[in-house]
Amino acid sequence: MTALTLVSRVDSAEEARILGELDFVAMSDLPTPADPGPDAEAEQIGHDVESEYDLDDTHRSDLSRADLRTLFEEQALPFMDQLYAAAMRMTRNPADAGDLVQDTYAKAFAAFSQFKQGTNLKAWLYRILTNSYINSYRKAQRQPYQNTIDDLEDWQLGTAESLTLQRTTKSAEAEAIDHLPDSDVKEALQSIPEDFRLAVYLADVEGFAYQEIADIMKTPVGTVMSRLHRGRRLLRERLADYARDRGITVPDTPSRSTT
Amino acid sequence: MSDCGCDKAKAELEEYLHRELTDEDFRDVKDHLDNCVDCADEANVGLVITRRVQRACIETAPDELRVSILEILDRRAV
Repeated sequence: MTALTLVSRVDSAEEARILGELDFVAMSDLPTPADPGPDAEAEQIGHDVESEYDLDDTHRSDLSRADLRTLFEEQALPFMDQLYAAAMRMTRNPADAGDLVQDTYAKAFAAFSQFKQGTNLKAWLYRILTNSYINSYRKAQRQPYQNTIDDLEDWQLGTAESLTLQRTTKSAEAEAIDHLPDSDVKEALQSIPEDFRLAVYLADVEGFAYQEIADIMKTPVGTVMSRLHRGRRLLRERLADYARDRGITVPDTPSRSTT
Repeated sequence: MSDCGCDKAKAELEEYLHRELTDEDFRDVKDHLDNCVDCADEANVGLVITRRVQRACIETAPDELRVSILEILDRRAV
């Protein structure tokens, strides 16, 4: 799957909208391709995203294309570094991350005239990014466990009570984690199951609320909480492992109580 | 143990750290953390992990990406 296929599909959908001046209800009634592959599915999800933001008349379809472009550049492009950082954590390499962010912006711009002013643009962009990732890159990787990860028991994830840093104080643990190099932290994050990692990333790095994460990941809030809790517990253990491997030891503070 | 607030604080610590508690629950947990070294240390580990991950994940999009996205917008805006 290349960026080009996605872009051309969005183009044709957009063209249909412009030619027919279709409103979004009509758009969603357009016939689906005879062979709906991953691209078509990604495109359909793009439409789902759009239609949710087309529920009233405050959309921007009355703006000229040039005005829309200016507005889009002002409002959406400042998120590029953040989206790229998220894409890096998803795809794990700069080339795929770049393609993913480019796809995201192409889809977002195609849908931007329907984006409702005053709603959360950042969450909307993340939703398009996440959908694009799940529907293209992740499917291509055919990663195991994706549908069952939430059902696995902790011991299956290697989350048994960790021995790591168990005998040091919590303040020592915090300090050890704080001193790890970025590469260790990124590797630790990368090592936890993807759905957990995504929940942790969206909550901790991006500061999204649970409900926003639920919308982005299309999952109930309870699942978000579970993924976040388990993800952070795993992450903490991995970080402690790295700290121990690096021989980072922090003297206990005598006045502190221990667990 | 259940009266001292440790159980509630531990159960709700993640939601406390992520600002997902009601005002009342937030105050309860915060009051407890102010008076319990062990729970405060636990909360601090959680905070440090969040800050550490934030710091490690900062990236700058390559210039080529910015250029190619702007080109897409240029093509589509006409």
